[in-house]
Amino acid sequence: MAGTKRKSREGNGQNKGRDFKKKNQGSSGGSGGKDGRRKRVGPRLPNAMLKELQLPKRYADSDEEIGSDDALNDLYEYEEGVAEEESRKNRRFDTVENYQYELPEEFEDENVPSDEEDGEDDEGGQRGDEEEEEEDDGRHSRLLQEITGLPTDAFDGKKKKNDVIISEAYSESEYNPSRDILDGDGRISIQDLLDPLHGKSDHSKLRKSMSRMEKKSMPIHAPLPKPDQERLERDAAYGFIQKDVTKWEPHVKRNREAPTIYFGKDKDVGYSTVGEIAAEFEPRSDFEKKIASLFNDHEVVEAHRKDGARLLELNKISVEDLKERQDQLAKMRSLLFRHEMKAKRVKKIKSKVYHRLLKKDRLKQAGTTIETDPEAAKEQAMKQEFKRAEERLTLKHKNSSKWAKRILKRGLDVQDDGTRAAIAEQLNQHALLSRKANNMNESSSSEESSDEDDLDEASDGSDQDAAVKLLKKAKDKTAEVLEGDEELPASGVLSLPFMVRGLKRRKEAADEEAKLALEEFESSLKELEDKNEPKTQGTNILTGRRVFGAQKKQAPEPKKKATSDNYYGDSDSEGETDARENGINAHEENNISQREVHFDPNLLREESEINHDSLFKSFDDIARDPGSKTSYEVSIFAADSWKKMNDSSAKGKQTKSANAKSAISLQITEPVESKPDGEEIDEDSDTDSGGEMVDGILTSGTKSTYEIPSQEELIRRAFAGDDVEDDFEREKQDALNEEVPEPEKPVLLPGWGQWTNIQKKRGPPSWMLEEHDNAKKKREEALKKRKDANLNHVIISEKRDKKAEKLYTPTLPYPFTSQEIFEGSIRMPIGPEFNPGTAVPALIRPEVVKRSGSIIKPIKFKEVNPHEKAQDHKRGGVQKRKGGKSKGKATK
Amino acid sequence: MVVKVDNTESIPATDEDLIICFLILTQLPSDSFRYLIWQVISEEMDMKKKKYLRGEGANLKDLKDKKLQGQLVVQEELFGKSAAAAAKAEKWLMPSEGGYLEGDGIEKTWRIKQDAIASEVDILSSRKQFDIVLPDFGPYTLEFTPSGRYMAAAGHKGHIAIVDMKNMSAIKELQVRETVRDVVFLHNELFFAAAQKKYPYIYNREGTELHCMKEHGAVLKLQFLRNHFLLASINKFGQLHYQDVTTGQMVANVRTGLGRTDVMQVNPFNGVVAVGHSGGTVSMWKPTSAAPLVKMLCHPGPVTALAFHPNGHLMATAGMERKIKIWDLRKFEVLQTLTGHCKSLDFSQKGLLATATGSFVQVYGDLSGSQNYSRYMTHSVAKGYQVKKVTFRPYEDVLGIGHSMGWSSILIPGSGEPNFDSWVANPFETSKQRREKEIRSLLDKLPPETIMLDPTKIGSVRPERKKEKPSKEDREAEMEAAIEEAKNIHMKKKTKGRSKPSKIAKKKQEAVEKAKKPFLEQHTNKRKPTEETQLPKSLERFVRKKAAAA
Repeated sequence: MAGTKRKSREGNGQNKGRDFKKKNQGSSGGSGGKDGRRKRVGPRLPNAMLKELQLPKRYADSDEEIGSDDALNDLYEYEEGVAEEESRKNRRFDTVENYQYELPEEFEDENVPSDEEDGEDDEGGQRGDEEEEEEDDGRHSRLLQEITGLPTDAFDGKKKKNDVIISEAYSESEYNPSRDILDGDGRISIQDLLDPLHGKSDHSKLRKSMSRMEKKSMPIHAPLPKPDQERLERDAAYGFIQKDVTKWEPHVKRNREAPTIYFGKDKDVGYSTVGEIAAEFEPRSDFEKKIASLFNDHEVVEAHRKDGARLLELNKISVEDLKERQDQLAKMRSLLFRHEMKAKRVKKIKSKVYHRLLKKDRLKQAGTTIETDPEAAKEQAMKQEFKRAEERLTLKHKNSSKWAKRILKRGLDVQDDGTRAAIAEQLNQHALLSRKANNMNESSSSEESSDEDDLDEASDGSDQDAAVKLLKKAKDKTAEVLEGDEELPASGVLSLPFMVRGLKRRKEAADEEAKLALEEFESSLKELEDKNEPKTQGTNILTGRRVFGAQKKQAPEPKKKATSDNYYGDSDSEGETDARENGINAHEENNISQREVHFDPNLLREESEINHDSLFKSFDDIARDPGSKTSYEVSIFAADSWKKMNDSSAKGKQTKSANAKSAISLQITEPVESKPDGEEIDEDSDTDSGGEMVDGILTSGTKSTYEIPSQEELIRRAFAGDDVEDDFEREKQDALNEEVPEPEKPVLLPGWGQWTNIQKKRGPPSWMLEEHDNAKKKREEALKKRKDANLNHVIISEKRDKKAEKLYTPTLPYPFTSQEIFEGSIRMPIGPEFNPGTAVPALIRPEVVKRSGSIIKPIKFKEVNPHEKAQDHKRGGVQKRKGGKSKGKATK
Repeated sequence: MVVKVDNTESIPATDEDLIICFLILTQLPSDSFRYLIWQVISEEMDMKKKKYLRGEGANLKDLKDKKLQGQLVVQEELFGKSAAAAAKAEKWLMPSEGGYLEGDGIEKTWRIKQDAIASEVDILSSRKQFDIVLPDFGPYTLEFTPSGRYMAAAGHKGHIAIVDMKNMSAIKELQVRETVRDVVFLHNELFFAAAQKKYPYIYNREGTELHCMKEHGAVLKLQFLRNHFLLASINKFGQLHYQDVTTGQMVANVRTGLGRTDVMQVNPFNGVVAVGHSGGTVSMWKPTSAAPLVKMLCHPGPVTALAFHPNGHLMATAGMERKIKIWDLRKFEVLQTLTGHCKSLDFSQKGLLATATGSFVQVYGDLSGSQNYSRYMTHSVAKGYQVKKVTFRPYEDVLGIGHSMGWSSILIPGSGEPNFDSWVANPFETSKQRREKEIRSLLDKLPPETIMLDPTKIGSVRPERKKEKPSKEDREAEMEAAIEEAKNIHMKKKTKGRSKPSKIAKKKQEAVEKAKKPFLEQHTNKRKPTEETQLPKSLERFVRKKAAAA
């Protein structure tokens, strides 16, 4: 340490020297002072000598330094510095490395301040080293001695003291025991430690505590390891907490077992009545306050409580006010009275003229206002529209009133003209009211639609039929126009004589036109009819009434034994009467009213179909009751029809072309030919046969024609049961194959295993056969499992219905583990439709019942008998519970 | 002869039950007597309670899940309480007992004539015996509303009448001027559907035609499924149509493919429609499948009539071969075979079976309660009348007979349910109640897929589907699993360089390939060998030459 210091000092010196050198180099001209200094460089010792005299030199160095520190005016020392610089120069090469190494450290620290604060530098030097200080002190004392002339001891006193303290070379520690210990005195007692503190403020206290400790001195065991310690702690805590928690157990158990838990059952949640709310009212705004002050005024309240007399007193009114009010009232009353009187007078006036005039006036007034005032016009229009709407809604004028109904019930014809007129007027009124303003298309459009309907109907038949219909309609319309005498208006502008004349003229012209049109229609209609006649005849034969008659003609040919029951007779009779009507009506009706004609034969057909079923039983049934009244009727009607048929056929001959007849004959043969075709035609044939049977009662003819088709059919039906069972078995097999398909037969890829005959003989490999056998076995097992396995006569489809899939529970819901238990739990419906009203609430009560608005408080401890069961499920009696818990109940 | 006829119109007189109750409550001679009565009553109640419990719950003793067990025990308890309450309600609120007919000594009940019954019963009941003669419009078919209050009668020749049976007044009569084959009421008496010549039509009570259902074609028989709001019809071509009458939507259109028939009946228990065919089979249908649910061979000849017991477990069929069979639909077995022709069959609410042939009507009953039907009553309408349809009037001991000369009504004691439940059907329904019921029933309308053979299975766990064809994903997942397994196989430590990493890797690779193989094969196997390749594979290379040569 000292060495480095020295070096640094040397460095310092050198630095300084360098500095100076630098200065020298820098200042070209140089100041005289400096140059002088240089010149005054003192005696210099050679380096070798200096080396030898290291110590003195060091002194010299320090001296020099001190000197340099002390003041710049110390010439000697200054010169010393120069000399040192010189020396340094000489041994440049030796020290360079040192410089280079040490300079950067110290340069900044010591150099810069040394330039400016040289005074401080010596202090730094003093601080520097103790040895140095000793030397310094020694010198110092010597110096002081020299100066003061006092012996050095006087100055040494201080130093001595210092010496005593510093005398210990090492700090006190266990390694450096103090002298006392080394002396063998032994232990340090607490007393020892305390003694130095004697007299200090805390001493007594400390001593007391020490003495206390000494009294019960016990050996302290070593503490347990930490994990053990913690475990013990936990054990203790567990026991403690367990005791604390187990007391809740019955509580929790009860809550868990309770089907329903109630919260806030007895909580009062707010008001329930308006009165309660009103009682809470407090006036807030000024107005409310004012009212409240009046309301709660003591006097008023008092007055109310007693009788009204006091109230009157309180209610003061000035005389003027009262009078004014009375006047006003009187005035109003008199005005009202007068108005009333006037109204009465006006009402009494019976003159129609007057009223008419009045009305006119009013209308006029309204008219003028409408013309002038768009507002009024609008209002009027609105009014009109409203009236129309009202009329349309109420149908007030459409003979819906009691009076009108009564009249109508009695019959209009019976009424006198006045009533009739009134009714007509009412209807007119209705028409007027409900007419759409400025729209005359309405009626025509509806007519069109009806026309269309008709056309639709007509389109069922041929196009020509439609044309005929159309023409007929047109004709009818024109005829109507011709006949319809439009009533000339009796009043208004149109009633003026010249207007009437003009109208008449126009009507005549229109009539002319209509007549022309009518003729045209008729001619074209005739044409069409001529064309149609054969065809319509044909169609009629198929469906129309005419045919019925025509078909009767074939009645003699087919024949059937007397099989008839009641409603055969009925149907017959109707058919016959129809036929009769036919005969009477002219043939054109037959052409026109296609629809009507449609009706009867089909009806007959239906009946005959039904009769078919009864055929089997009626064979014997009828044998049992042969002489019934109905059969008698049948014969009569049948006879009648026979006559009629002749009639109609005769008429047909008269009126129709020969074509018609040929069509009829065709028709007769047709059913026979087309029998095996299909069901529809079969039915036709059935009807024919039915009809034949009916007629057969009368007209016995050849059996053969009837029997060939129908008997076959009959036999087929009657003995259909013969192979029914086989059929069903086959069907079942098919169904089974469809649902549980048969395994494919083992097949080889073509070409495989077919090289030689041996391979061919061997057949498919064994594993394939085995697989096939397995598949077969599987199938058989599947078939055995089916519900219809043991029922030969039943096929129960086991196809799954995808749409119904959603009605099942896809998997067993959570808490359940067995399907049986789950299905047992849902076997009872719990809705109000299936359970008595008393049981439903309990069945559908939720797990938690809580009134809205009530606060659920944390659970509170209450002594509960742990063995007691929550008995009443209806009212679980459990007040609180900890938290939400889920129950399996939700799965239902 | 002892006759009692159930009559909803008469107020039930003091009942013996009430008397017993009175006894219990007031004058009790002794404790033992009280105990006796109490025992009797409790036994009776137990019987009734069992009915309301709807089967027994599963055994909860073996249940391991204690929590679930607790919950289910509570639930069972509640069920028991509900059933007990229901039994109690039935005991005290449904006091009327059904009518009955008993012969004195050896007197046979089927020998008792209607006029003999008429002289025995009260005036109100005797009024229910009547004949309406309408000779002009052919055989009549009848239909009652479920409450038995209204009747629709349709004559074959177009006469339709809606009659209020309570005051015996015709509400509406109309003549549609074409064949009417069948008529049914829709959900209430305000609407009815009539199967006419070409199409079925829907009319309202005023006789206004509301709809013409052309899609159905020429319908032979109509049925209305009350809970599903479906109008089922079978037409001339054996096509079965289901139309939703609330939306108008055609729910199903099924071709039975078994020919023309007019024998059709709905099973009131499950809504399954049964159709009898000329081949002697009866097929049962639901709207959501094109194939019949059940097809059973009932008779060797054509099936002429069909009826279901209200509880849905019994079916009666009649064949052309003079047999009437009663079937148990749970086992699909014949319970009993009766002899006789039959054109129309009907079960009453209490389970009496009416059959009609010609002008002769017979009623069978299982008087012993063991589903052994024997002759109970007979009746023949005037000679020559052909009965077309017999149908019991609900909640009355009345049988309606539609025949060729109008219709008649006879008394069959013990046929109708004596106590009506106004939630089900109310014979005294006011218009307001009717409206409310309409809304309620609309809200409770069942979708068509709920029609199935056993509707009690709804809500239960879906029956396990047998794997028909594993889907592509399934197959892939399976393959993945197999590969994973192959990869994770543990290799034995072997010596002489056989456990080299390279070897192990190779072996693993091979194992994976092997695991993959069956799946890939399956995939390729799917393509069947095409039939066009007629030549063996080995010869195929010569094909072109041949073609060239040709």
